[in-house]
Amino acid sequence: MTARVLVVDDEAPIQRFLRPALVASGYDVLQAETGRQALHLIATAAPDIVVLDLGLPDMDGKQVLAEARRFSQVPIIILSARDREVEKIAALDLGADDYVEKPFGIGEFMARLRTALRHRAKGGEDISRFEADGLTVDLDRRLVSRDGKPVRLTPKEFELLAILVRHAGRVVTHRQILSQVWGPAHADDTQYLRVFVGQLRAKIEPAPETPRLVLTEPGVGYRLWAEE
Amino acid sequence: MATDVNDDRRPDPDALLALTAKEGHGKLKVFLGAAPGVGKTFAMLQGARRLKAEGVDVVIGLVETHGRAETAALLAGLDVLARRTTAYRDRQIDEFDLDAALKRKPKLIVVDELAHTNAPDSRHPKRWQDVAELLDAGIDVWTALNIQHLESLADVVSRVTGVQVRETVPDMVLQTAEDVVLVDITPDELIERLNEGKVYLPQTARRATQNFFTRGNLTALRELALRRTADRVDDQMVDYLRQNAIEGPWETSDYLLVCVGGDDQAEVVVRTAGRLATRLNASWITVHVERSGHEETNPAKLKRVDDALRLADRLGSQIQRLAGLDPVAEVLRYARRENVTQIVMGRSRAHPLWRLMGAGFTDRLVRRASDVAVHVVNSPDPQTPFVRRILPMPAPRRLGQGLIAAAVAVAAAVGVGEILRQLLVLPNLSMVFLLAVLACAATYGPVSAIAASLLSFVAFNFFFIPPLYTLTVAEPQELLSLTVFLIVAVLTGSLAGRAHDRAQAVRQRALDTQSLYEFSRKLAGAAKLDEVLWAAATHLQKTQGGPIVFLMPEEGELQVKTAWPPDQDLSAGEVSAANWAFSKHEIAGWRTNTLPNLKKQFRPLRTPRGTVGVVGFAPKDAEEPISPEDERALTAILEQTAIAIDRAILVGEAVRAAALEDNEKLRTILLSSLSHDLRTPLSSITGAVTSLRQLGDKMPASDRQDLLASIEEEAARLSGFIANLLDMSRIESGALKVKQDYIDPTDSIRAAVERGRRALPAQKIETSIARDLPFVRGDAQLLEQVLFNLLDNAHKHGGGSAIVHARMEGTNVVISVTDEGPGIKPTDLPRIFEKFYRGGRTDGRKAGTGLGLSISKGLVEAMGGTIEAQSPAIRRRGTRILMRFPAVRMREGHPA
Repeated sequence: MTARVLVVDDEAPIQRFLRPALVASGYDVLQAETGRQALHLIATAAPDIVVLDLGLPDMDGKQVLAEARRFSQVPIIILSARDREVEKIAALDLGADDYVEKPFGIGEFMARLRTALRHRAKGGEDISRFEADGLTVDLDRRLVSRDGKPVRLTPKEFELLAILVRHAGRVVTHRQILSQVWGPAHADDTQYLRVFVGQLRAKIEPAPETPRLVLTEPGVGYRLWAEE
Repeated sequence: MATDVNDDRRPDPDALLALTAKEGHGKLKVFLGAAPGVGKTFAMLQGARRLKAEGVDVVIGLVETHGRAETAALLAGLDVLARRTTAYRDRQIDEFDLDAALKRKPKLIVVDELAHTNAPDSRHPKRWQDVAELLDAGIDVWTALNIQHLESLADVVSRVTGVQVRETVPDMVLQTAEDVVLVDITPDELIERLNEGKVYLPQTARRATQNFFTRGNLTALRELALRRTADRVDDQMVDYLRQNAIEGPWETSDYLLVCVGGDDQAEVVVRTAGRLATRLNASWITVHVERSGHEETNPAKLKRVDDALRLADRLGSQIQRLAGLDPVAEVLRYARRENVTQIVMGRSRAHPLWRLMGAGFTDRLVRRASDVAVHVVNSPDPQTPFVRRILPMPAPRRLGQGLIAAAVAVAAAVGVGEILRQLLVLPNLSMVFLLAVLACAATYGPVSAIAASLLSFVAFNFFFIPPLYTLTVAEPQELLSLTVFLIVAVLTGSLAGRAHDRAQAVRQRALDTQSLYEFSRKLAGAAKLDEVLWAAATHLQKTQGGPIVFLMPEEGELQVKTAWPPDQDLSAGEVSAANWAFSKHEIAGWRTNTLPNLKKQFRPLRTPRGTVGVVGFAPKDAEEPISPEDERALTAILEQTAIAIDRAILVGEAVRAAALEDNEKLRTILLSSLSHDLRTPLSSITGAVTSLRQLGDKMPASDRQDLLASIEEEAARLSGFIANLLDMSRIESGALKVKQDYIDPTDSIRAAVERGRRALPAQKIETSIARDLPFVRGDAQLLEQVLFNLLDNAHKHGGGSAIVHARMEGTNVVISVTDEGPGIKPTDLPRIFEKFYRGGRTDGRKAGTGLGLSISKGLVEAMGGTIEAQSPAIRRRGTRILMRFPAVRMREGHPA
């Protein structure tokens, strides 16, 4: 069955190129120009994934997101401008799965779409194994190895890695990591995170000074690189 | 709480603060002696030589060797500053050169004789003020001082030695000195040195000092010096303990309250209290209390109160004015609230009768002060005679008038009495004379009334009591009635006279208050700084009489902001006095400690936030000090002015801040819409191109064509937007060159409409152009561009059809573009020509770039025309943009 994508954007030129690109990649395309239309379609047309622009004429994109999350767990990818960082992070914290910055190439966009869909197919949080670039992680047995050799991680480092693995390929915000690993009281202590990510990279990256696995999303959070 | 245990051992923050305030400030070392000749200068120079040998930059600012070889020898090899020579009344005076010292800026400077009074043209009248300036400049100073010159001891010294001390140094100078070195020899030794001629004394002072250098005097002075030094050592010990948080043997200090009134012992009381406070190492506060409803009106007394409070301030006291219905209760309430431990006051010279009954202020206070110790200071009775005290004499001119009035009134009474005696038979004509006495009392006060009483007594006896026309009295009962008349006349006359004086004083106070009230009302109406200054200058000119000038800092320098009369130039001396007042927050100029020879006085305008400016004024009478009443009025006016200036400055700042904030907001909106406008076309182009490259072969041909078309359109949109932005910046920077040709507006309209029809096929465009429109001056291409912009706008906002009108209106050619859209809200109408404004939407979706109209406005104005918008235009809908260009008058087909 082909996946059904709902594109929510009021800019006609964006819709104009996304539709043929998505069709050519084998998706069904639904289109909405306003937040109200979008909510209606999420409720009635059961899209498999939603692409949501944050600037809509009738309501705030974040509001659409929050309302959608009340009745649906459909993966949602945010379209946003680079200078709207705060909005972006707020949307991710509200339950968006990932974001793409405008202007974007279609390749990047499609890759994000596929990752989100794959996660949904695997049932989200149940991922327990991760393998990439010589790194193997087994969350159930709490084993981490690099090129076959076991890597010793502190409990906090392991928890940090586990969150990234469960979201492999998708961005995780600072706040999400901090509140899950250190507790909600530390949700704003980004400097902790920098230190721990540095330590983690030193242990698992093939070349820690040019990280390839734990990628920084400037101002937003981190993303574990995942093979397609 | 357990965690706070350590806090008790923290150093006292005030003590530490006082210490840091001393940093960056020169250190003062005072060589204190009991009398001249003890060897202060010698000790100072020896110390200076020692330091010099250690490599310290020592300069001798001024030292009097008095021709003594021993001392002069010590000067050899030291860097001695040249003296400033100045002429004063045909005499050459050598003075310490303060400016040279400041310029030289050594580490340490030696300046002898701290109590010296400077020559009249100096910056400061006293040398200790020169020293204070040196210290402020970060230069360490060594100086010498005799104990008799200390302000708080001046009265003691003159009482003990019988020599009046004129040159005094405030106690604060000694208190703030870093070190005090006592230079001491025994009185016998000193007298011996004097007899051997080793102590130099000026010829003129020789006789006076013969009585001074007695063994008794010198012993007393030595004791004072020793004791003062010991007090200081004690203070330093306590300071050290506080700064280092050593648990002290010190207790909570005593707190002294000093009551002063308008009597002549106020000064003595303050000095005594100051000495007591120093000895007890206590802080002290000086208060003056007034009985509400019976405020003091006697200017002399008011001045004495002010003087006493000022003296207290100089001696290091806090000062406070109180008022209450019951002054005794008020003082005690204040004392209890402030935890005062001791009260110091003078013996009140109440009415002798009251004193007998124990009803004087002092007696009542002593009786009621159950929990506070009270010191009563006695001082010799005043020299003012009793009569003068109970009967204040008016000014001589008024006194003369009063006496003449008394004579005239009594003469009139005699006349009236004579007439009445002819007409009626009256048992007693004394009532007529009483009337004359009361009339004098009511108009000229008690002195005139008493004079009238005495005259009446004589005249009544002479004219009306038999035997007539003699001063003898025949009947004993007549004598009695005459005596009773005299008593009644004097009593009623003086009572009525006092009431008159009182009413006069109250009226004066009311006038002052009203004048102040009017002034504050004027200030309240003045919001801008200039208005405030102007109101203050005119008011001050009215009350003070002389020229007024207000200075405020501007770009780091004091500038004249307002002056009355307006064209005044300040002399160099006046400018430096103004700067002094501003930077030191002190009064400078005429009759002050700084540059006293100027014609003007400069006062800082102080507010809680600091000194905001300086006011300079010339006094009414340069020979007389400002009278107490004027001084009070002036202080009140200046306080009000300072507050008003402060307010005006704050208002100005608030307005600027608000404007800045608005600007900031606008900028944010601008930036976000700009980035949106640029990014949307870029996003769709990038998206379409990458889609074509990666997925093109999977797409049907129609989709590929559509993507290519969208790329073209978006690229055009982007280029249009960028062109607009460039136009805008060209207009704003003034780089746009507008041709000033004679152009036919009809041609431009036709061309624009053609272009509009091509570019906007969906738009219906009608034209209505008057025939024979005159030429206008401008740029044909730009006019076409403007018209096209307007048509494009009409297309975006206005319902699918537009009409272009062109006609003559007076001397103008009027061209308008009208659409049939929903129109513009009246509130938005004035803003539509602003940059990046787009029809009520800040996110700007689908609307234009928000530049079209502002570019049009820029171009039209560059061509010398005007542009405006009207909405609704027709039938409550639509918008009309009107342009007016001045028509060029044509003569036979050519421009005039």
